[in-house]
Amino acid sequence: MDAVWAVFSQKVLSQILIGLSRTTILFIVSSGMSLILGVLRIPNVAHGSLYMIGAFLAYSVSRIFGGGAQGFWMALLLAPLGVALLSLIAERLLFQHLYKREHLMLLLLTFALSLILGDLTKLVWGAEYKSVPVPQVFQGFVTIFSGFTLPLYNLFLLAVGPVAAVLLWLFVNKTKMGKISRAAAVDREMVGAVGINVSLVFAVVFVIGCLLAGLGGVLVAPTVSVTLGMDHTLIMEAFLIVIMGGLGNIWGALIGALIFGLSQSLGIMIWPQFGIIFPYLAVVIVLMIKPTGLLKSTW
Amino acid sequence: MKKSLLLVLGLFLLGGLFLPVAAPAAQTLKVGIVDTYTGPATAFTLDVLDGFKLAADKINAKGGVLGKKIEYLTRDDKFKPDIGLNMAKELVLKGEVDVLMGTINSATALAISDFAKAEKVPFFVTFSKSDKINMQKGHRYVFMMTEHTEMAGRAAADALAKKPYLKYWIAGDDYEYGHSIANGVWKHLQKLNPKVKLVGETWWKVGEADFTPYITQILAAKPDFVIVATGGSGMVNFQKAAKATGFKVPFYQHTAIETSTLAPQGKNAPVGVYGTANYLFYYPNSPENKAFVEEFNKAYKRYPKVGALYGYMTANFIAEGFKKAGKIDKEKFVDGIEGMSIASPVGSLAIRACDHQLELPMYFGVTRPDPKYDFLTAGDIQVVPAKDYMPTCDEVKAARK
Amino acid sequence: MNKGFSLGVWGAGIAALAALFLLPAFLPRFYVYLISLMFVYGLLATSLNVVLGYGGVFQFHHCVFYGLGGYATALFLTKTGAPFFVSFLAGGFAAAVLSFVMGLITVRLSKLYFGMLQISLGSLVWAIVYRWYSFTGGDDGIHGISLPDVISSQKGAYYFTLIVTLVSLFIIYRIIKSPFGSVLQGIRENPARSGMIGINVKKHILTALVIGGFFGGVAGALFVVVDKTVFPDMLFWTLSLEVLIMCLIGGWFNFFGPMLGAAVVIALRTFVSGYTVYWALVYGIVMIFVIFFLPNGVLGYLQQKFKPTKGRAVAKEG
Repeated sequence: MDAVWAVFSQKVLSQILIGLSRTTILFIVSSGMSLILGVLRIPNVAHGSLYMIGAFLAYSVSRIFGGGAQGFWMALLLAPLGVALLSLIAERLLFQHLYKREHLMLLLLTFALSLILGDLTKLVWGAEYKSVPVPQVFQGFVTIFSGFTLPLYNLFLLAVGPVAAVLLWLFVNKTKMGKISRAAAVDREMVGAVGINVSLVFAVVFVIGCLLAGLGGVLVAPTVSVTLGMDHTLIMEAFLIVIMGGLGNIWGALIGALIFGLSQSLGIMIWPQFGIIFPYLAVVIVLMIKPTGLLKSTW
Repeated sequence: MKKSLLLVLGLFLLGGLFLPVAAPAAQTLKVGIVDTYTGPATAFTLDVLDGFKLAADKINAKGGVLGKKIEYLTRDDKFKPDIGLNMAKELVLKGEVDVLMGTINSATALAISDFAKAEKVPFFVTFSKSDKINMQKGHRYVFMMTEHTEMAGRAAADALAKKPYLKYWIAGDDYEYGHSIANGVWKHLQKLNPKVKLVGETWWKVGEADFTPYITQILAAKPDFVIVATGGSGMVNFQKAAKATGFKVPFYQHTAIETSTLAPQGKNAPVGVYGTANYLFYYPNSPENKAFVEEFNKAYKRYPKVGALYGYMTANFIAEGFKKAGKIDKEKFVDGIEGMSIASPVGSLAIRACDHQLELPMYFGVTRPDPKYDFLTAGDIQVVPAKDYMPTCDEVKAARK
Repeated sequence: MNKGFSLGVWGAGIAALAALFLLPAFLPRFYVYLISLMFVYGLLATSLNVVLGYGGVFQFHHCVFYGLGGYATALFLTKTGAPFFVSFLAGGFAAAVLSFVMGLITVRLSKLYFGMLQISLGSLVWAIVYRWYSFTGGDDGIHGISLPDVISSQKGAYYFTLIVTLVSLFIIYRIIKSPFGSVLQGIRENPARSGMIGINVKKHILTALVIGGFFGGVAGALFVVVDKTVFPDMLFWTLSLEVLIMCLIGGWFNFFGPMLGAAVVIALRTFVSGYTVYWALVYGIVMIFVIFFLPNGVLGYLQQKFKPTKGRAVAKEG
């Protein structure tokens, strides 16, 4: 009996650990989306495309720096910046003219942007999948219990998650820009009335949100094949996480990502065929109990 | 509302101006290629196209087929059956192609095959491997230029039955091909070695990028061996995940030893993976194979992978078929190529009349590092000739009832 | 204001109908197929507009009903021996049932929250269909569905689709013009006030949802007739966004707007794909153009252009 329990809890624990490492990436991407949603009131459908471009840029940057460890760290630094630049261009060129229009228009604009970015990615990088190698230091795996291994890179992701969460918290609560954005989320007119350039605030928030999407893309790149179509799977998940967590609430995004990542990996353990349904089920249940999301939303 | 009705009608009529005039008689032999040119499957499909082009360019240089040049149109189905079917419809109904070719997704191939049958257009399947294509759902107009899962299953089962493994786990992509190949291997393995046991199955969604949660569950059950039924999209992803998690259980994937799967991973591919393949550019080291490899390398700056053989042979059979028919007549073409043999880099290959199957040899091997190349290659290669692992014509007939 | 149609409009209408019925005789088969598709998507977009344009509801995942209708019909046709008409109607009714159930859950929310819960529920339905390989065929979809000989050909499918679409459009039009439709539009304008004058807002919205869902399902069943296939992407939310765009491009404050939008998108998609693989890029650019310059859609723009002229002409005659 003890042995059975031991095996069972080992199984559960290893699935939990894996679920948690997925959470990191989901959280980083979703927090970006939540930020944009909360402050600019834009549900950014292009978020998935920016994530994908982050992954492709990681591939290119890593190649320029010779692949391997150096390539990865440079990619981690430069690729999100590249995505941020791209989003800045889009924001200044297109988005800023639409802030006074209905939200539906903005939603559709982000959809249009996602289409364009998707094809641009194909144009620039071609249709074959790309591979970003795991940096040497994270290659290999650690044996948690007998027979249960966790890739070292997943451990890295597990560590990055809380770090990112803390950094974001610092930004939102301790920096001037963070505080202004929070104010703008609640009452943009007031913020404009006290003389702050609201448009500039929006641009900064948008770019940071997109940078987070790109960062997520870089982090996920060594674990999967970098391919076209990455945007579609992710945008769905990110959107649901943000909805579940509460619009514009970063901690909500963290909890949402946790629920999502864990329910998926545990779901696979419980009922492998329909494993991917568990996260959707979780979202539905949450929304039925609390339609505005788990934590307070800024809307 | 009345104004808008008029406006809509006006716009519809305007649109009618764009309808094309009737096209003049075709000056070329048109081949419509529907395949996946987006995503991980491209690692396989680009070779089909390039192999086809290599042969078609040669044929065109010599004057083409019955004085007409081979013209090919490609359409990207993005690994989705609905898009693929849509493209095939467009190519046949609008583009008026003489022959259809493609695709790597078995469900797409089945859908297009249905359509080709209704339209009586010859359809050459160049990578999809479901045995349904030319067994249960086979018909006069579909040609299988690649091995199918029943065949691969037999070849693999032959080799696996001789090994000591008893507790098997089956895992794979949850779609037509995945189930088909798993069935093919398991059915025959059970027959050859009744002592084997299936301890469990795992099916993940097609295009699954992250296998780690599934792998831990498989390892928890402690099987002796895993039959991994991944398709074009999942081959490399699974091998990567296996390497990352230190997957110690030996496993088999059909096409695991193919260059398409191993080359993109460089020296990082997992060692000791069992696999089957229809073509290896380094084996056999015959003059025909070497010549083909050199030609392909010169034109495309890379080694040919199995897709290149499929595409190359398809072009040749199309050309020879119409030449034998004497004119661009689809029915005479079909009659003509049944039973026809053509020289290839791996010897003379024939299209069997009863099921339109291209009789390819099969190689079974294990991945291992190779000092000559930047990637792993296959070792311990066993060759299984076509007749040893193809279903008999009687079996095909029985399946089609 | 004339209450009925003038003779001119009647004449044009009859001519157009006649043209539509005669098209298969002189159009190549591919265009017959294409126009059939335009009817299907046009009906789908119109059914969305009942809820979105006239009801003001944020119906973000309408295609769940479309996809479910298609799958219901396909499954009835392939797994039961039911006669064709039963299978066909099963599509619409299954979708109506789903929209009723989903509606009950979502109708207590407003605006964006409604949309988001609908997306979640819809995605759940999609995930189930997608993963239930043994029943729905999963990612493969269901292909080669057999239909009665009469409608199995391209032409047959065209006529069937044309007739069903016309009948459906007629019914929808009557509903919009009925007192129910007026109340619905009133709710769109000001839900609070409508509630205050004694209208059961939730009941009206729920009814609109079921109507929209039903015809969305009918469109799905029609798709089965035209293409003889169903696949999980029919329920995927990006298709819902595309249908939204069809309404946008055509003009959603206009009854025929969605039909026009659907026709434009399908025509664009087919012809652009012939020239380039970067269809999505073109689509995105067109969308941006429409968003910035034609916010009321093509029809809305044209209507604004032609209205003043009409006024002037009348004044001149008067």
